[in-house]
Amino acid sequence: MIDIPAVNYPKPWLLFWAVVILSHGYMDYALYRKWISWNRGITQTATTSGRWGRALKIWAAEVFLQRQLFGLSSFRWLIHLLIFFGFLALAFLSLSTFFLKLSHYLGVESSVTHYFLNGSGYIFIKVWGDSFGLALLLGLIIASVRRFLFRPAQQISGQMDVFLLFFLLWLTLSGFMLEGLRLALVPVELARCSFIGCFFIPPGTYTLEELQPWLTLLWVLHSFTGVGILVYLPHSKLLHSILSPLVIAMNAHEEQERKDLYWPDIAKHRATRLPRD
Amino acid sequence: MARHSKTQGDKIAQGLTRRQLIELEACARCGECQVWCPVYAQDKRECITARGKLQSLRRLVKETLPEDEKHEFLEGLYECSACGQCHIVCPVRINTPELWEQSRLSLANAGIPQPESQLKQLATIKEFNNSFGKPQQERGLWAKTAWEAGLLKSPVPLWRDHPTSLIYFAGCTASFELAMQSVAVQTARLLQEAGVEFSVLGEDEPCCVSKLRRMGDPDFSLEAKKRLNQFDRMGIATVVASCAGCFKGLHSDYSKLWPERTRVIHLTQFLDHLIRERNLRLVHEVPLVVTYHDPCHLGRHNRIYEEPRSILKAIPGLRLVEMSRHRAFSSCCGMGGGLKVANSGIQHKMGAERVREAESTGAEAIVTPCQTCSLGLLNGVDEASSGMKVYHLNEIIVRSVCPEVTSEEILSAFVRAAVR
Repeated sequence: MIDIPAVNYPKPWLLFWAVVILSHGYMDYALYRKWISWNRGITQTATTSGRWGRALKIWAAEVFLQRQLFGLSSFRWLIHLLIFFGFLALAFLSLSTFFLKLSHYLGVESSVTHYFLNGSGYIFIKVWGDSFGLALLLGLIIASVRRFLFRPAQQISGQMDVFLLFFLLWLTLSGFMLEGLRLALVPVELARCSFIGCFFIPPGTYTLEELQPWLTLLWVLHSFTGVGILVYLPHSKLLHSILSPLVIAMNAHEEQERKDLYWPDIAKHRATRLPRD
Repeated sequence: MARHSKTQGDKIAQGLTRRQLIELEACARCGECQVWCPVYAQDKRECITARGKLQSLRRLVKETLPEDEKHEFLEGLYECSACGQCHIVCPVRINTPELWEQSRLSLANAGIPQPESQLKQLATIKEFNNSFGKPQQERGLWAKTAWEAGLLKSPVPLWRDHPTSLIYFAGCTASFELAMQSVAVQTARLLQEAGVEFSVLGEDEPCCVSKLRRMGDPDFSLEAKKRLNQFDRMGIATVVASCAGCFKGLHSDYSKLWPERTRVIHLTQFLDHLIRERNLRLVHEVPLVVTYHDPCHLGRHNRIYEEPRSILKAIPGLRLVEMSRHRAFSSCCGMGGGLKVANSGIQHKMGAERVREAESTGAEAIVTPCQTCSLGLLNGVDEASSGMKVYHLNEIIVRSVCPEVTSEEILSAFVRAAVR
C-alpha cells in the first residue's frame, strides 16, 4: 500500500452529471438524426470476396497503424498517431478511473480497485496519464506549428479545423494545469510519478485552503470542456474518428484484394517525391 | 394528413448509397486529395478537390449549400475526370470515383442536369449509338478499308457471317476517329498473326455507353441492358476490348449484369498471354526508349499494371523507363469522366503536364494502350509544344511483329481510300 494523501476540494458533481446526461442525450439524438439521414440512401449489397480475417488485418493496419498515412508522410503519420493514441488512451483512462471510483463509492471494491486507487497501480495510472497526455500535447503542438507556421498548401484552416485544434489543446493543457495544482499538495516523491504534471506545479508552498478555489475552477473548466466533446462531435470533423474506421472497414471488406490500394510498395510505385514538393 | 414532400436534398440523398452518404461525413479534411489531384494542379480551386466536393455535397444533401456555392460545386463535380487518384491516396479510403459518378446520376434525377456540352454528347451517343454522331453503317468500314489496302493477312470476318466465340470490340474511337483507326487495324492484324479465330460486329457493334455512366445519365442501366441482351443472344464467350474506356464499361460497369459465360478482357491482357504462349512472336528490334502511361480505367480502376509492362519488356531493343508518377499513382491525362467534354482547356493542360513528366525521364516516346489517352496525350504534346512522340501500345508491338503496318502506313492508306 502507498500512502496517497487525499486532495479534496469542492466539485459540482450534480451539475456535472446533469450536463453529462444532457450532452450525451444530445449527442445520441444528433447521431440518430444522422443515421436517419443516411438511411435515405440506397441499400446496397456488399460486394466482397468475403475473407473476414484479411479484412480485419487490413482494417487494423489502416486504423491502428495508419499505414496509408505512413506511406504518404512519416511526419504527418507521427503527428496523427500521437494525437490518436494520446486521445484514445486518455479517454480510456478517464472511463477506467470513473468505474474504479464508482465501485469504491458503491462499496463493491475488489483487489483491482485497491491496486489502482491505493496500491502500486496508482503510479501506473499517473505514468499512463502523463505519457499519453504528453503524446497528445506534442501531437497538437506539432500540428499547430505545421498548420500555422509551415502552412502546407494542402491544408485549409477553416473555422472547424482551428476550433478543434484549440479545443483539444485547451483540454490537454487544462488537464496538466489541474494536475500541477493538485501535485502542489502531495509529497514530492509522489508528485514525481506525474513526470509531466510536476512541471505544472506552481512555485511556492500552498495549503489546500489557498488552492481550493483554483482547483475547483480548473476542474470545472477541464471537465466541462471534456463533456463539450459530446456536443461538438456530431457537428465537427471529429466525427471522422468514428466514421473513418467504419468506412475503412467497409472498404477493407470490399477491396481487400487490391494490393495497389492496401499494400502498395510505395517506395517502388509512388512518385519518389510528392507532386509539387 | 398532409404528406411530407420530398426536398431536393432528399432526392439527391435517395440517389446515393447509404455508404456514400456516410462517406460524405467521414472526410478528415487532410487534403491529400488536393496534393495528388491532376485537375487541381491546373485549376487551384477548393471546389475541384475531393475534400471540397465532399463538403459541398454534404451541405447540398442537408439543404445548407448557398446557391452561389452550388454553382461552384457543380463546376468541380463535372470538371473531374473521375480518375480515382484521390481514392488511392485517401487515408479514409473514400471510394471517390464511384461517388462522383453516382452523384452526377443522382443530381440528374433530382433535376440538376449535367453541363450543356455533356448533355449534347449524351444525346449524340443515344441517338447515333456512338459518340461521334456518325452513321452506324460506317462503324465497321475500317476492316474493309484495311483489307483492301493490303494491311491485313485476311479479311476480318463479321460475326453475323462467321460467328465466333471471341469477338474484338473496337469501340467508337478506333472505329470512327481517323487518327485512331490504326488501333483497330493493328489489333486485327496482331490477332491474325497469332492465329486467333475472331470476328467483329461491324455495324452491329454498339457503343458501350460507359460515357453515360461516367457523366451520370439516368438511361445508362437501360442502355447497358439492351447491349447485354444483344451479346447474350449471340452467345459470345469472350469480348476483347482495345479501348480502356470500353473495357471499364463492359467489364466493370456491366460486371453484375453479364451472363456468367461471357468474359471481357482488355487487349493488353490478351496480347500478353499470346506473347507468353509464343503465339505472337516479337521478332524485330525496336530501338526506342519509352515511358508507359497507365490509363486510369485500366490501372487504378481495373488493376491492369503488369501486362502492358510485360509486353514492353519483351520487345527486343526497347527500354522502358518509368515516370515519377506511375501505376496506382499515374497522373491522369484528363480524357475521362466527361472532363474533356466539359472543359477541353483543362484536359489540354493536364495532357501537357503528363507530357512534360514523360520528357523528364529522357524517353523518346510515351506508350499507352488506350486510344482515348493517346488522343489526350497528343493534345498535351501540342499544348506543351513538345517533340515527344505518343504511341499506342499496338504500334510498338506491330513494329516488332509486322513492321509493314505502322500507324503511318495505315493513316496514309486510309486517307487515300477517303480521297477515292
